Amino acid sequence: MINKHPLYTPDMLSAEDRARLDKLLEKFEYEADRFLGYPCTRDFDFSPLFPFMFYPLNNVGDPFEDTTFRLNTHDIECEVLEYFREYTEAPKNGFWGYMTNGGTEGNMYGIYLARELHPNGVVYYSEDTHYSVAKILRLLHARNIMIRSLPNGEIDYEDLKETLRIHRDVPPIIFANIGTTMKGAVDNLDKIKAVLNDLAIRDYYIHADAALSGMILPFVKDPQPWNFRSGVDSVSISGHKMIGSPIPCGVVIAKKANVERIARSVEYIGTLDTTLTGSRNAITPLFLWYAIRAQGWEGFRKIILRCFKTADYAITKFKQAGIDAWRNNNSITVVFPRPGPQIMKKWQLAVHGNHAHIITMPHVEERHINAILQDLIDDMKKGNVA
Amino acid sequence: MKQITIISPNRPGVMADISETLAQAGININHIDAETFNESAIIIMNVDNYDRALYELQKFPDLKAVSEDAIVIRIENKPGALAQISTRFKNANINIRSIRFLERDEDYGLVAISTERTEEAMQLVNDVLVA
Repeated sequence: MINKHPLYTPDMLSAEDRARLDKLLEKFEYEADRFLGYPCTRDFDFSPLFPFMFYPLNNVGDPFEDTTFRLNTHDIECEVLEYFREYTEAPKNGFWGYMTNGGTEGNMYGIYLARELHPNGVVYYSEDTHYSVAKILRLLHARNIMIRSLPNGEIDYEDLKETLRIHRDVPPIIFANIGTTMKGAVDNLDKIKAVLNDLAIRDYYIHADAALSGMILPFVKDPQPWNFRSGVDSVSISGHKMIGSPIPCGVVIAKKANVERIARSVEYIGTLDTTLTGSRNAITPLFLWYAIRAQGWEGFRKIILRCFKTADYAITKFKQAGIDAWRNNNSITVVFPRPGPQIMKKWQLAVHGNHAHIITMPHVEERHINAILQDLIDDMKKGNVA
Repeated sequence: MKQITIISPNRPGVMADISETLAQAGININHIDAETFNESAIIIMNVDNYDRALYELQKFPDLKAVSEDAIVIRIENKPGALAQISTRFKNANINIRSIRFLERDEDYGLVAISTERTEEAMQLVNDVLVA
């Protein structure tokens, strides 16, 4: 199994280089216990998959199509996609998708698909949308209008309606946040569809950015409308966030009929590969497949319940200490006033304006909450809390 | 001479930070003007090396530098305020490339608008034009 003639061996590195790697590992071990602000879990162990690292695997092309390059994990990828089809309630024989290198690629695919279907369309997205979407809109030359957000981070439906009313002659492409980056807010698809219906707009496209919440909402009792059953045309979900992976990854799921329509329009390039990239990661499908097979539906449900419990613990403790902490429904993002820079740095907190958040991912425990709370209390005594 | 509009937190020393950074990069500021907008500052400047200046300004995570491709307006912070502005462009047959909020407080919002016809767009929103 192990390559007997590798081009690179540890003895080829200088002592200095080896020491550098050791130091880097030590740093990661230290920092990994102190990141509370970013939505990635560190609770995984994929070491049983290590032997796969000895092969030049590549998932180039459409995972559902045959390929002459056989060192791929397309079958595994398709199984992962089938799980996400179930999670997102996409039609069983009417979906298509592929594994991306993260949520942004999935969002780019969704907007690309929408723009191909509606070349004159205007993309509407809220103020609380992840900054990467602005880059995507620029890359795709997609016309776009930002809509106000409500204080809890949802799109302002009234502002959306008034803006759509002006541009009702061109198809809207709604970029819906299913869990905003800073506040975990879910744009209400029923309200958005009601706005479209009130304005008699029939031709539209909805893409859902469900980077984190796409692996939360399938497992809660009372999910907000967010998936294909609620009218989305495509959805992007990260793999490295809630499931966890040492390599960033994600999935994008879209309606097959839409994908086939744009496949016809790209025939001139001589391929039906409608994935955005060429070479694609073949290891990350193994990670997600392994995790999903090991945990199963019930396993993820329990993990997510634990995350909610930690979030509520944080809110209770913060409030007891006089810190105004809150979370949106079905969100594990705990929002609180922006602390001083030292706390932000120590706990790797994401901040925006006067707000900061901690995200109670599976690796976050009550001991972490207690520790950051103590730092916040000390910081407040110095007058550093916004 | 091209213009750059900067939206920044209204913090002490921000003008000095910008001036110093641009000077270190060998960029001359030919004109600079600033006004406050509640908790923000709006800084409008003309420089002799426009592209390099935009690149250097990216080093400040709390600044938003708007290039001359976009105009900046101030609108009331209420639902539909932006729609009213959009109507003007629609009636004038000017296509909007993008509209985005740069800053928003309880009363007002600063909005960057990019269109295919910047000069005409500026005339259309002259009453709310910031830069």
